[in-house]
Parts: sequence; structure tokens; C-alpha cells
Amino acid sequence: MSDQSEQLLRRLETLEEMPTIPVVLAPLLRYLEQPLDTLEVQQVVDLISQDKSLAAQCLHLANSPLYGRWHNVDNVRSAVVALGLQRMRDIAVSCSVLKLIPKGKAKLDPMVFWEHSLGCALVSRQFARRIGFADPGKAYLAGLLHDIGIVAELSVLPVEFQEAVEFARTRGVPLHEAETRTLGFTHCDVGKIVAERWHLSPDLVAVLSCHHDPQSAQQNRDLVALVSLSDLLCRMCGLGHGYIEERQVNFLEEPGFTLLLDECPSLKGFDWARFTFELEAYMEEVHRLVSVLYGGPQ
Amino acid sequence: MISAPSIPGRTSAGLDGPPSPQLIRIRDLVYQVAGIFQPDNKLRLLEDRCLKRMQAVGATGLHDYYECLTTKPIRQVELVNLLNEITIGETCFFRNQPQLDALRNVVLPRILEARTNMALRHLRVWSAGCSTGEEPYTLSMMMMEEQSGRLAGWTFEIVATDLNERSVAHAKQGTYGTYSTRNLTPYFRQKYFTPSGDNLTVNTEVKTHVGINRLNLLDDVRMAFLKGFDIIMCCNVLIYFDVLSKRRVIQHFYNNLLPHGYLFLGHSESLYGVSEDFRLVHLPSATAYVKSEKRQVVPLGGL
Repeated sequence: MSDQSEQLLRRLETLEEMPTIPVVLAPLLRYLEQPLDTLEVQQVVDLISQDKSLAAQCLHLANSPLYGRWHNVDNVRSAVVALGLQRMRDIAVSCSVLKLIPKGKAKLDPMVFWEHSLGCALVSRQFARRIGFADPGKAYLAGLLHDIGIVAELSVLPVEFQEAVEFARTRGVPLHEAETRTLGFTHCDVGKIVAERWHLSPDLVAVLSCHHDPQSAQQNRDLVALVSLSDLLCRMCGLGHGYIEERQVNFLEEPGFTLLLDECPSLKGFDWARFTFELEAYMEEVHRLVSVLYGGPQ
Repeated sequence: MISAPSIPGRTSAGLDGPPSPQLIRIRDLVYQVAGIFQPDNKLRLLEDRCLKRMQAVGATGLHDYYECLTTKPIRQVELVNLLNEITIGETCFFRNQPQLDALRNVVLPRILEARTNMALRHLRVWSAGCSTGEEPYTLSMMMMEEQSGRLAGWTFEIVATDLNERSVAHAKQGTYGTYSTRNLTPYFRQKYFTPSGDNLTVNTEVKTHVGINRLNLLDDVRMAFLKGFDIIMCCNVLIYFDVLSKRRVIQHFYNNLLPHGYLFLGHSESLYGVSEDFRLVHLPSATAYVKSEKRQVVPLGGL
């Protein structure tokens, strides 16, 4: 890494503008690590209800078919009861994370960024279920947070990051490749700093720091690989970073595929075409959800 | 207590309630048998199409209609009728823009690179099941546009075939009404079409690149003569074939394509479980198939 890149990374590590972990997120993440049967409904309801705008946003997600709910739930308690604790935690974590980008400061459209993050969370969860991955809930969370390094870049290095985005956009190349060229490091390097500062669990640290190079992960390579493939699929299906990556991808040749195959043998006969077509429905609903969350009730 | 947010997009998923398990069964059946998939946001549309067919055959409900598609004697005919409903309105110029963009911006450069060492600067594209000609003419216009860009110094030809004689005649005529031309931008309208009454006729220069003929894709002898293609487009055709016929056609396509060739299918159409000859590749908001490597395929048709 060049001196300049090191200087930039140091700025990220030391500056106070670094995003702080949302108030509700830390306890929610702690809960997530606990076995489901030790959780009490009231605890989760209280936690979410502390923040009225968070609670209202959670209800929007709770009423979306993507979270499995078809009938109107109108308060946090009935949402928790109807959807179950696992889903409600996913929703609450999503909403608290979605509040992260300071409005007006971002050069990258926050809606596009959160569409990608929410899309990747949902796709990771669905993909996990399909291939018999052990923990779909963890896959959801990892998908949601995988690009959180970008939030830090937007906050601390908005000008430099914008150059990387422009580089990627004009050449139609993946964002991390553009970052390597223009910044000398990627949102994975930055994600690692954020993850450690937020005291995220080691498996999430691995995802945030290695999802563009799953083989470099020291642990939880299967989770890293799963998110890496879901991320790529989202980007190829129009749920990317707001521009088109002009390239061809063969998922069977992706490093993440080989890694994940060891863990989930059913991946061998996976119907990539069908899974890709299914995402068409996700796209529509993710666009709608994020626009409701950001634009308020329409 | 937090008040409920309004739920304005409630129907955006296409359904007011959870999709009926019978509808999901029909969706899965159609995918399994025909290879065309209706995602959740299209389930309402699929339901409407089923309702239309249910009226026609007098089915009492989705469960009964599922029986019509699977166990009743009319099942084969009825599946074709449903597929016709599903693909209705698919024939128009610039039908699948993401697919065309991917072809132009990703596939074309890769093909040109693969052809670097081939002396002949001539591309061959086959529109297999071209219906009334909108697809081959769209490709012709797109490639004519590229002749001032990536295809500078290149020539190209588009072979267009269809089983239906009336479709072939219509394609040769090249005159289209407002429905077929709904996606045409003013630029393409003015540059490549001549108005005739309410209709538009494709200009001769677009037609000169396109050769249209009647062909049955199951005609092994004639299929074996079609060689040296860079790209095959075969949209919403294989869905009507049984699995053995699909395999036969796919094996032909394998032989018809050059080693670097691409096979494009229709929107949400898949070869899963049909053939190992091709492997799926992802392009921006589109999918295509490329030839699997190191595979020996025995020519069909006794040649």
C-alpha cells in the first residue's frame, strides 16, 4: 500500500466522523447471538419501541411480503407475535442500520446503497435456505452489513470515495477494483476497521473485510463465500451500486462457489437461472421498501 | 403504541394476500415442463392468465385447472394454450432491452476478441423462431448502429427462421402496427422505418442483412447444415417442446455455434435440467448460455 493510501486509512481510523454504531443496534446484535428461546417478546418490543421512527419503519418492513407477512400488523407487539422474534430482529436491525447515512452528505445515493444492502440481506437469507446453509438469520445480517465500509468512506473521505465511484461508473468495473486503483484500498479494508470498532462478532468481521476475496478469510469462509455470491448476484441483477458492471460472470467459476460447495453439497445442482429470475420480484419490493423508509409514508 | 403506517404499495407484490399454493404449483409446473419462470411479482398476471384459460376449459378452480394441466386428456393442448397466454405480447421491437444492451456492450466485444485471429470479419446471427420478424430486424438495426463503433469494418448477416408460414410471410413483408412498434424510440422510427398509413415498414437497408426462411427446428437434416454462428437467439420457442425435443435442438445449437458462440433464450427462460452442453453465464440484468468446454457432441441428422 502506498504512503498516501496509508495516510487515508489512518484518517479513517482516527477521525471522529467515523459512523458510530446506532444506539439500538448494539443490544439487538447482542440479542441475535443468544438462542431464540432465551429471548422475551417484551424485551424486543421495548427495545424497538424506544425509538418511534424506528418502530414505524419496522412496521413498514413487517408488512412486506418479503418478510413473510400478508396481513396488516399495526403495532410492534403484534408484529413480533405474527412474524416471530427472528424475523422481527432482522427487521429491527435493518431499520436501525438504514438510518446510518447522514442525509445530504452522501455523494453516492443512499437509497441505491440501501437497496443493495437490503437486497443482499434478503438474497443471502434466501440463498442460505435454498442450499441448506446452517444459519439463514446470520446470512441475512451479514448481507445487510457487508458493505458498511462504504458508509465510513462516505463520511470520512467523501471526495476521494466519489472519485472511486466515478472511476467504476465510467469503466463499468466493480467498485472494489476502482477503489484499489484510486484509493489504494477497498471498502473491505475500511469495513474491517468499522467492524472492529463496533465490536461485531468475528464472523461478521470476516464478511465485512473479505467478501470480495473469500479465500483470504481466516475463518467463517462459508458465510463469507455465501455473502460474496449473493452480493455478486445482486450486482448482476440490477441491485448494485447504481451503475452497470459491464461484464460476464460464471458463478461456477467464482472462488466463493468452490468454498461454499464444501460446506453445502446441495449447491452442486443449484438452479442459478431460477434463483436469478426470482430476484426480479425482490427488486421491485426492495425499491418500494427503501423509498418508503427514506421518503416516509407515501 | 405506534400507529400503523399506511401501506400504499400493498399490491406491488402483485397479490393482496399470500399466493395460493395451487398457483405456486402451476408456476412450478410451468417452469419444470416448459422452462419459463414467473417470479412472485408476476403471480397476479399468471393468475389472470389461468383464470382466462379456466373459463375456456370450464375448470372450477385453480386446483381443477392444475388437473387439466397434468392428468386430464387435454393436458398437452392446455399447456400450450397457457404458454401462449404467458408469452402473449412478447413479440415487439426491442422486446428485451437489458438483453440487447448486454449483447451489445458485453457479448459483442468478447466475440470480437475471440475472433481476432479469424481472417473473416463477418458475424453470423441466427434468430431461431423469429415469429413475425421483430427480433431479427431489431438485431439488424442494433448491429447497423454498431457499424460506426465496435463493428467498424465488419459485415454481418442475420438468419431468421420460423416454423409458421404466415409468420415468415409477415416477417418478409416487414410492415408493423402500433403494438409491435411501441418500444421504438423516435430515433429508430425515423432512421429505419417508412410510414405506410398507421403502420411502419422496415427500410430495405435493414432487410438486406436479414434472410428469412421457414424451418422446423426438429428437422435434423436442415439443422445440420446451419453452421458457423456467433450468436443464436431462441426466445419462447423451446418452452413448447418436450424434453427430448429440447435436447435435440440444443445439441444442434451446440453444433451450429462457433466455439465462442452465445445462446440467448427468452425472458425468464432456462435450460436447467435440459442439457449439459451449455453453461449459464450472467450478464448485466440478463443471462445467456455459452458452450461447455471439452465436450464431444455427436452430430445429429445422420451426417
